[in-house]
Amino acid sequence: MCDHTFVAITFGPCDSCTLNKPLMNIYLQNEPVNYCSLCVEMMACQGLTQGENLASLKAESEGLKLRLEEERAKLHDVELHQAAEKVEPLGQLVTKARRSLKGHGNKVLCTDWCRDKRRLVSSSQVTEHAVTMPCTWVMACAYAPSGCAIACGGLDNKCSVYPLSLDKNENLSAKKKSVAMHTNYLSACSFTNSDMQILTSSGDGTCALWDVESGQLLQSFHGHSADVLSLDLAPSETGNTFVSGGCDKKANVWDMRSGQNIQSFETHESDINSVKYYPSGDAFATGSDDATCRLYDLRADREVAIYSKESIIFGASSVDFSISGRLLFAGYNDYTINVWDVLKGTRVSILFGHENRVSTVRVSPDGTAFCSGSWDHTLRVRTGRYLSLSDTHTHTHTHTHSLT
Amino acid sequence: MSNNMAKIADARKTVEQLKLEVNIDRMMVSKAAADLMSYCETHAKEDPLVTPVPSSENPFREKKIFCAIL
Repeated sequence: MCDHTFVAITFGPCDSCTLNKPLMNIYLQNEPVNYCSLCVEMMACQGLTQGENLASLKAESEGLKLRLEEERAKLHDVELHQAAEKVEPLGQLVTKARRSLKGHGNKVLCTDWCRDKRRLVSSSQVTEHAVTMPCTWVMACAYAPSGCAIACGGLDNKCSVYPLSLDKNENLSAKKKSVAMHTNYLSACSFTNSDMQILTSSGDGTCALWDVESGQLLQSFHGHSADVLSLDLAPSETGNTFVSGGCDKKANVWDMRSGQNIQSFETHESDINSVKYYPSGDAFATGSDDATCRLYDLRADREVAIYSKESIIFGASSVDFSISGRLLFAGYNDYTINVWDVLKGTRVSILFGHENRVSTVRVSPDGTAFCSGSWDHTLRVRTGRYLSLSDTHTHTHTHTHSLT
Repeated sequence: MSNNMAKIADARKTVEQLKLEVNIDRMMVSKAAADLMSYCETHAKEDPLVTPVPSSENPFREKKIFCAIL
């Protein structure tokens, strides 16, 4: 399992003000110290020392960036696909479309599976609503771990939580609770391990952690220099971190308690649309407008694989792993889904069927199926290697779908 | 004047952030790759999309109706 040994102390007495707070690890005059976030801010505002000015700080930055690259290069002894040469290759993946859900009035932008594996919530650019939202674009949605609520948001700059009810006549929007407030659109949201906290990312360049009950901001995460488009929480066994990706081409890994940016990766050539942790929590994959998906290993602190082909020129909008981490499903703006062998770096399968951009790909929690949502207004659920006729459902326009 | 201080504060924070990133512990790619591979291998049997599951256990299969002979 993942072992972030460099994040040693994250809660305790601050070395500057001695109060017990979530701590950030920083280096002052090359000595490691632990400061609370308030003291970090104050330290940054201290008067100039001898010979220090904007230019000298920028030069120091550039020097450190070069050193960072050198340190990372020292450990680059082999490529992942070379190490994986002896791994048994996968057979040809054959998938069967199992369900095609046509209930949305418009483009499907986001989906999430319920942990009971039989329900999906999806959000779209809606023109009619089952759950009325005071905005036209719903860009993000997520199921609460208990399955009793949904969080969604978008161009209203908010993330709202709706309790779910079996009573179809109940007016769910009356019970809506506004939890998060950003200063720009909400691009992604996710419950943490409980129904009580939500993590959000926004076009305002920040991510934030909120308490659902009170709506209070618990922690904010600053470090991206442009819109943040996607986030993913580390698998629960591996601790309190999450990864975010944005229009600044960076993928950042954060400590949820202190707000600190632990690691940062900038090898993509365009916006990162989607980030997803590898199931063990030791790595994460990204999908980008530069038409590639990449795998970054957190302990090697570098990119270890690129999934690309010359024939793929459209951006990847969404990625997800199968439950063993061997397969990476990626949806693209050329209406296809490419399935990659994570270890060998080769493409295992290409899936057609959507009539417009694939905006979201999610593997079910038990790994038996994956769902793709598209701008063609449909959600398609597919499994691997089963013989049966596919099924078509027409649903009234609701945000939750039962699949079995 | 204060705008300059804000830029300096930003630059200082960038420098501190980079120092942190430079000083983290890293492992060799070969070791990290070995761990990823071993995770895949250990969990391959539980992954229905990698190791096919018999049709009887597939929750998405078309449900068959069996006749009972009386």
